[in-house]
Amino acid sequence: MSGTWHVDTDLLERYVSSRLDPVTSMSIETHLTRCERCRNTLPREDAWLSRSWAAIEDTIGRPRLTVIERTLRRLGVPEHMARLLAATPMLSRAWLLGVAAVLTFAVAAAHWAPAHPAALLPFLVAAPVSPLVGVAIAYAPRIDAAHEMLAATPMAGSRLLLVRTGAVLVTATPLAAATMPFLPAPPVVTVAWLCPGLALVTACLALSVRVPVRTAAPLLVVAWLIGVFAAGQFTGDRLLPFQPPAQMVYGTTAAVLAVFVYLRRSRLDAGGTR
Amino acid sequence: MTTTVSVHELTKTFGRVKPLDGLSLDFGPGVTGLLGPNGAGKTTLLRCLATTLAPDRGDIRVLGLDIADREQRTEARRRLGYLPQEPGFFTRFTAFELLDYIAILKEMTDRRHRHGEVRRVLAEVDLADRATTRIRKLSGGMRQRLALAQALLGEPELLVLDEPTVGLDPEQRMRFRALISRLGESRTVLLSTHQTEDVAALCERVITMKDGQVVFDGTPAGLTAGAAGLVWQSAERPHAGLFWRTSEGMYRTLGQRPAGAEPADPTIEDGYLLALDTSSTATAA
Amino acid sequence: MEDDVALLAAAAEGRVEALRTLHTRHAPWLRMRLSRRCPDDDIVDEAIQDTFLAIWNSAGRYAPSRGEPAAWMWTIAVRRLVSLLRGRGNRWIGSGVPLEDVQVPEGSVEDVVMLKLGHGDLATALQRLSPELRAALQATVLDGLTVREAAILLGIPQGTVKTRVMRAKARLREHLA
Repeated sequence: MSGTWHVDTDLLERYVSSRLDPVTSMSIETHLTRCERCRNTLPREDAWLSRSWAAIEDTIGRPRLTVIERTLRRLGVPEHMARLLAATPMLSRAWLLGVAAVLTFAVAAAHWAPAHPAALLPFLVAAPVSPLVGVAIAYAPRIDAAHEMLAATPMAGSRLLLVRTGAVLVTATPLAAATMPFLPAPPVVTVAWLCPGLALVTACLALSVRVPVRTAAPLLVVAWLIGVFAAGQFTGDRLLPFQPPAQMVYGTTAAVLAVFVYLRRSRLDAGGTR
Repeated sequence: MTTTVSVHELTKTFGRVKPLDGLSLDFGPGVTGLLGPNGAGKTTLLRCLATTLAPDRGDIRVLGLDIADREQRTEARRRLGYLPQEPGFFTRFTAFELLDYIAILKEMTDRRHRHGEVRRVLAEVDLADRATTRIRKLSGGMRQRLALAQALLGEPELLVLDEPTVGLDPEQRMRFRALISRLGESRTVLLSTHQTEDVAALCERVITMKDGQVVFDGTPAGLTAGAAGLVWQSAERPHAGLFWRTSEGMYRTLGQRPAGAEPADPTIEDGYLLALDTSSTATAA
Repeated sequence: MEDDVALLAAAAEGRVEALRTLHTRHAPWLRMRLSRRCPDDDIVDEAIQDTFLAIWNSAGRYAPSRGEPAAWMWTIAVRRLVSLLRGRGNRWIGSGVPLEDVQVPEGSVEDVVMLKLGHGDLATALQRLSPELRAALQATVLDGLTVREAAILLGIPQGTVKTRVMRAKARLREHLA
């Protein structure tokens, strides 16, 4: 019905300045819904338009805060750091799923033969190593496809490595801890993964001063697996690597290496291309 | 020419390959093009300048900073932007998210300012429309523009661009040239390319490299002039020398005049090929 | 120059420029119309922003069968306004212009084409209604709000909305009979 009748300037002017009776206003409004031509004759306030758009653009443009980011920020982590930390696991969903799968398997294996002395072994072997695998993946060429681009940024190297290690630790540790209650053994026993885990991560950071992370991390994973296996074979006690004396060794090593890493904290990941 | 970047006796070996062997060069403000075949050492040189590769020997000074020193290197990284050859991406990110991530790595901690900067560079490369599109849905040309955008974050004083026009269609390449020209007015831009037209249109200075050595260093006009009197066109296929068939069906030869050939106007590509082909006998007819 | 349907489809795909064009085209009149419902400019501005954000998020749900894009956008806009008003507990103060001060255009009532109501007498009948009854009718019939939403917009209880609409319709029937 808008084909023949259009709003004339006088009517429009009165509508705009609120001097038009309500009934005619109603009909104008209904007409405007259908008539582009009359809509275009409305006065345009460019300043208002840009302000309005700027506010809209600001909201749609920015990435939505993930749950992780919001939690981190509530814990007091600065916004940009939270963003970096949250973005890291996103780089490897495969790792997260892998860790979850392995831990589930470990729980299943433990329940398969709960009385067996080595029932906990799959869990105790896998849990310490999962953060390391995460770091290794984060630096693997296929995943870290943007490596070359990132390497030229000021935060590349040391700081980025610490952020990434922090991110995988913060993700993997709660996962492993959450698995503990499901294991058929008291927490005193199942927590035996913690010290080796810390020792391995600090070792990786320490090694990165000399060796590229993408080499150091897998190296340590393999060394751990071989070490645990060999210790079991040669001494007949497969839980030897998790007994209290071994824990003391891990704990001390982790502490020493942590100090070393702290002292060298600006020189980490120097073994990479730069 | 004020020198903003300089390398001295730069050497790098990868196993049996030695892309750089004692290279020394100075660069100043404006746009400098690096031409050269694959394996000429262009990428190795650019990677060293972008601080992503440590040379075996030699000094590199970028914007007055000695990048062998760790702290000066970090400072240099704050003032340069790098577009690597074959840039990789986190395909699950959106364009905006990737630039935001890199901007954080470039130490832009204030979110308001950082997001404004991200939008600015997206607009510069004409990707404002795709800010919320996931990278895996972007075409090759768009990804290339995105990679260029990240190099522009923070308005760096030095831009190191390794084959920046790969994957761009002719129209995009023109827009790219306009952008780089404008940037070159106030900062140092080093770009490597295979496209001689890019060099002709864009660079005040062109350096041709072969096997880690500089075989030409001058203006694009100078590179073209190097082929003066050495370019021939004939309808018949020549018997020897450096020649090829043109799109018009004629034969174009560089170097010695083949029988029955007419002289032709040299282009920059002729100059480039001649500079590379050091084994050709370059005698004027 | 793309049409609105195409722009909405582009916005659904995540093209920000499409939304921007829609904003340039439609924000002015939407703002005008919302101002007639709410005199607070800040609320109107915020409602406009919420509207376009909502359009951005739900552009994929628009289909031409749902009516013209402009009409669809208005339904979003008025609901955003209602949502904001609910949050603030504001009262609608009316258009601000008492009926006596407004000049009805000479002889134009017959010329004015009412889209949903095509009768000239009806326009007069509407004018004869008191502002509150007319406002209730406008909110439910013209703006397409539910009784609950109209209640928030007008700042009155839902029961009052229902009675006013009933009385308005009764008056119109009387007048036209």
